[in-house]
Order: sequence, then structure tokens, then C-alpha cells
Amino acid sequence: MQKEEVVRIENLSFSYGGDYEVLRNVNLSIYKGEFLGIIGPNGAGKTTLLRIILGLVSGYKGSVYLFGKNVSQFREWERVGYVPQRLSVEKLHPVSVRELLSSVVRRESDLEFLIEFLHMEELLDKQFVKLSGGQQQLVLLGIALSSKPELLLLDEPTAGLDIHSQEHIMEILKSLSKEEGKTVVMVSHNLGILFPCADRIVAIDREIKYSASPEDSEKLVASIFGLHGNE
Amino acid sequence: MELLGYDFVQRGLLVGVLIAISSALTGVFLILRRLAFLGAGLSHFAFGGIALSILLGVEPFLFTTVLVLLLANGVEFLRRERKIGGDISLAVVFSGGVALAVVLLGISGGFRESLFSYLFGNILIVSSVELYMSIAVFLAVILFLTFYFKSFVLLSFNEDIAKVKGAPVRFLNYLLVSVASLVVMVSIKAVGVLLASSFVVIPSMVGIMLSKSLKGSMLISSLVAVLSTLSGILISLNFDLAPGGSIVMVMILTFLIALVVKKR
Ligand SMILES: Nc1ncnc2c1ncn2[C@@H]1O[C@H](COP(=O)(O)OP(=O)(O)O)[C@@H](O)[C@H]1O
Ligand SMILES: [Mg+2]
Repeated sequence: MQKEEVVRIENLSFSYGGDYEVLRNVNLSIYKGEFLGIIGPNGAGKTTLLRIILGLVSGYKGSVYLFGKNVSQFREWERVGYVPQRLSVEKLHPVSVRELLSSVVRRESDLEFLIEFLHMEELLDKQFVKLSGGQQQLVLLGIALSSKPELLLLDEPTAGLDIHSQEHIMEILKSLSKEEGKTVVMVSHNLGILFPCADRIVAIDREIKYSASPEDSEKLVASIFGLHGNE
Repeated sequence: MELLGYDFVQRGLLVGVLIAISSALTGVFLILRRLAFLGAGLSHFAFGGIALSILLGVEPFLFTTVLVLLLANGVEFLRRERKIGGDISLAVVFSGGVALAVVLLGISGGFRESLFSYLFGNILIVSSVELYMSIAVFLAVILFLTFYFKSFVLLSFNEDIAKVKGAPVRFLNYLLVSVASLVVMVSIKAVGVLLASSFVVIPSMVGIMLSKSLKGSMLISSLVAVLSTLSGILISLNFDLAPGGSIVMVMILTFLIALVVKKR
């Protein structure tokens, strides 16, 4: 039986303007239920790739399909959750955690489920911008999970967090992947926490350098990027 | 206080309250979308539009409202599709409007007085059209916030998240600048071209600074706007001062108090 493709990218090339291509001839399929880790140096195009998969960037060459549908025609966004990189929220933004979560859930029961699942009771009436990095990341994850998505895309969700918060986030992602069978795509520089969770690692630097198991990846990483372990 | 018995005073107070709430609510989202300068840009552009309409002999308020709506949507279009920062377009628009007014003033000296009355506005001289207009704008603001509140929360927070959650982001951005255009036009009536932008900036900023939630900010900014407007009008009546200036002075006072309170 063929594995079901959740994301399919064919001959994708993209430039923000000018001749320089941020992504060059990328071909990638992401399969249902897998935990895919994406690694690569800064400026490699990882964030751009995620945003293209989400239909947030247009004007690329090639095709991108989400759940079998061309992303430009895709409308079932409740099937997809996104945790963006480094949020550029206005520093003064007064929005509370409760307001944020209420604005994404359909029913009150979904809100209660999220609060319980992520243990966010104490955060509810706090201002988002006043939370610690780890708490903010938890809320962003809550927003992404609010529609019970099948596919979860996370852009460096553990960057800048303390070890405890990193482990907490990874614990949650692992259970979403292994117990609930969600498809998880995670961009990270932190190979030490990514490799134990991932089923497959894709390394990109404008183009796909390799796609391999985490075990093989450890050897390849050193030879291609000269990266070592954590960053 | 017997002045409160007069029809024109009651009308002024009513229109003031409507404008205050409309601008405070809209202003919160403008500031969070980094469009605080929109009010100043549009109101000064409107000055050029008003000069043009007086010269052409058409109804200034309606004519200029249409111009400002077109322009605000144009600025948003440039920002979205051509990646030209809103502040840059608005700086051009700001000076363009004033330049137009100055040039038109030179062509025909005849309408100086009527044009100058728009510089400072006067909330105590409200025509029926202006009264109905402020009621309509108030209702429009309340309606659009009721329908799209959740989407606006997300949009002001992070545009990418809003899009992935299926919010009609492009439409909402155009809707926001359109509503802001209407709000600016009615504020011009109240406090004039020079001070109109303070209505969409100062009370909203106070609300944002003092509250720990978005709804709280909207409530506080509305209260600040209403109280400043009412007390500004009363001060102007009692001491025979310009109402527009008095209102904005009270707003600035609350802003300074908020700065002090916020420090702690
Ligand atoms: N909005 C943008 N406009 C122009 N260039 C951009 C934009 N976003 C990213 N870039 C450029 O594209 C390249 C890839 O960026 P990005 O996808 O963020 O890389 P990564 O996430 O791997 O660090 C970088 O050179 C970056 O400077
Ligand atoms: Mg990135």
C-alpha cells in the first residue's frame, strides 16, 4: 500500500526578487504520521519553505499540494496548524491568552480541552507579551492545535528556551506524533532534541542536501555543514 | 451649566461621544497594526480634498469622504502588493494634501474662511448631515467589530497565523483602513484637520498601555475618549476656549497620567 502524502512539493524554486533563488528545485513529499525534522544553516530557506507550504508566499515556480490539493485552492485550513518563528508581535500588545485562544476555538469545550492538554490554567488571564519564552511558545502551540489539525508545521519552536521548556515542548510533540498519529514537521537547529524524536531528517541549504534517517543524518550533518550537536 | 440646556450643546455632546467611541475602538487596531500615522496622513490629505470640493462647488464632506476612502485603500494596496511601507505612502499623502490646499488657496482667495473653519473644526456647530454621518460611522464600527472581532484579534497579533486560521486577511485590512477613513472624516468635524489624528491615537494608546487584555484596552480607550471629549467641551464652554483644542489637551493630560501610572 502506498503511504499517503500529506504534503507534496514538485520542482519548487523561489526568489524574493532578483536572480538569487532562496529555494532551488526542491522536491519533497511528507507522509501521513511521520515526524519530519528540517535542518539547515541560517538563511537556508527553511522558513520560506514552510510559508510556501502554508500558502503564505506566492510567486514560486513548481507545485505545492496539501492533502492532494494545490495549495492555492486549498481551503480546509482547520486540518493544518502552524507555529511561526520568532513572533513579531507589537511589544505593547494587550491581548490576553484567553482572548487569543477564544478567537481560534470553535466551541467552549475545545478551549477547555486545550487548557487542560497544555496545562495553561494559570496563563489564561495574563498578557501574551508578558509571558516567558516557553509560555509564549506553549500558547502558540495551543493556537496551532485549536482546530485539532492533522498536520503541524513548527518553525524553531524551541529556539531561545531553557532546557526544561524545550523538553516540555518536545514531550508534547512526541505524544502528538506517536500517540495521536499527527504529521509533524519541525524546523530546528537543535539536533540534540530533534534527532531522538524525528523519523526522518531533511537537510536544506537552498536545495535539498539529503533526506535520511536521524542515525545516518548525524554522520552526514558533520560532513556537509560542519555542524556539531546543539547550537 | 445652563448652557447644557441648549440644543446645539446637546447635539455637540452627542456627536462628540459617538466620534470618541468610534475613533477609540478603531484606533486600538490601527496602533496594533502599526498604522498609527494613518489618521494624520488621511486628515491632512482631506484638507486638500476639502479645498478642491469648495473650489468645485460640491458638498465638501461627502466629496472628501469618497476621496479619502479611495486614497486609504490605495495606500493599503501599495503596502500589500508593492511592499511600499504605509508610513512612506502616508508621508507623501500628508504633504500632498496640504500642498494641494495651499495651491488652491492661491488660485481663489474667496473661500479662505470656509476652508480655515476645517482646520480647527467645531463640534458645537453640527449640521444634520454631520449628525447622521456620526451615527452611521458609529454603527459601522460597532458592526464590523462585532462581526470580525476574533479575526481582528488574530490579525493584529500575527498576520500569518490569521491567514492559516482562515481569516479573510486581505479583506479585513481593506475594511480597517476604510472604517478608519470614515472615522477620520467625522473627527475632522469635531476637532479639525490638525487635531483629527489625536482621536485615533491618544485614547487608544492610553487603553493599550493601561490594560492587560484587548477588550480592556478597548473599554479604557473608549472611556478616556468620551470623558476627554465631554470635559473638553464643557471647559471650552465655561472658559470660552476652542473646543477642539480643549478636548485634545485633556486627552494629552490622560496620556501623561497613564505614562506615570504605567511606570509603576
Ligand atoms: N520577506 C523577505 N523578503 C526578502 N528576502 C527574504 C524575506 N524573508 C527571507 N528572505 C531571505 O531569504 C533567505 C532565506 O530566509 P529564511 O527562509 O528565513 O531562512 P531560514 O529560515 O532557513 O533561516 C535569506 O537570505 C533571507 O534573507
Ligand atoms: Mg527561519
